[in-house]
Amino acid sequence: MKQLLLITFMIFSLKALAHPVIYKGGWAINSGNMANYSNNYVLYSFTNRFAAGIEHDRFDKVDVGLLKFNSLLVRHNGDDSQANLYFHGGVGKEIYNYGAEADWETRTLYTSLKHLRFEGPRYKNYYVTQGRVGLSPIKTGFDKLQAWFMVQGMVIHNVEDTVMITPMLRFFYHNILWEVGSSTRGDWMLNLMVHY
Amino acid sequence: MKLFLLAALFALPAFAGETIVNVKGMVCSMCAQGLEKKFTEAGVEKIQVDLDQKQVRLEGKELSDQEIRKIITWAGYEAGDISRK
Repeated sequence: MKQLLLITFMIFSLKALAHPVIYKGGWAINSGNMANYSNNYVLYSFTNRFAAGIEHDRFDKVDVGLLKFNSLLVRHNGDDSQANLYFHGGVGKEIYNYGAEADWETRTLYTSLKHLRFEGPRYKNYYVTQGRVGLSPIKTGFDKLQAWFMVQGMVIHNVEDTVMITPMLRFFYHNILWEVGSSTRGDWMLNLMVHY
Repeated sequence: MKLFLLAALFALPAFAGETIVNVKGMVCSMCAQGLEKKFTEAGVEKIQVDLDQKQVRLEGKELSDQEIRKIITWAGYEAGDISRK
């Protein structure tokens, strides 16, 4: 019940850094780093609906390598907003992962929820639940630096079972995005993404 | 002279004026970089993405409506009205 309430709260209040699928022919290179979890990947979008690539995750001191297959299941392009639902899939040596990610954003508001499961016979089961809510106070132009204030809530089953709250700043300029944050417990967070 | 006029006539559709495309869902400037990339690859010389007006303005090589809609779909968006000046 407690978990259900947490997930419900995240759905309605709290996007991952991840862009699981981008435009056709686009590369997404990402490095997401926190004290006890990191997520790095290179993905190529074969269409605007399907991307594949390689990913490395680190849970505390456990490393996981995966071949990734992501799909954009639903996209709603509104006049002033966009909403997406993605499927995540991955296969590694004696491990696989799957999950879903949803987001809704306008030029000034941003919410998302992601739930990924990593399972395999030689590993503990890692479940990553991440939600975000963000606000951009100023609408900037296409070629300008854009800044967002965000709060991330994250639970990683078998690594950190309590909710880690991380306020952060997100910036993007042209095709580069970076985020810096520090959790309420003082743990750092540093993320970088490039679209090419 | 006739040859010159004939050549100019055939050249007109390829290099025309401005094309304005309304685009739905264009809320993230980083994601909209895909539009610039895809139109550049299609040979369009000048691309202006206007997030406020929710429009893309294209100058140089003129693309058909079908081509424009295809590129916008590939970039992840939905094309609305297309007009030419």
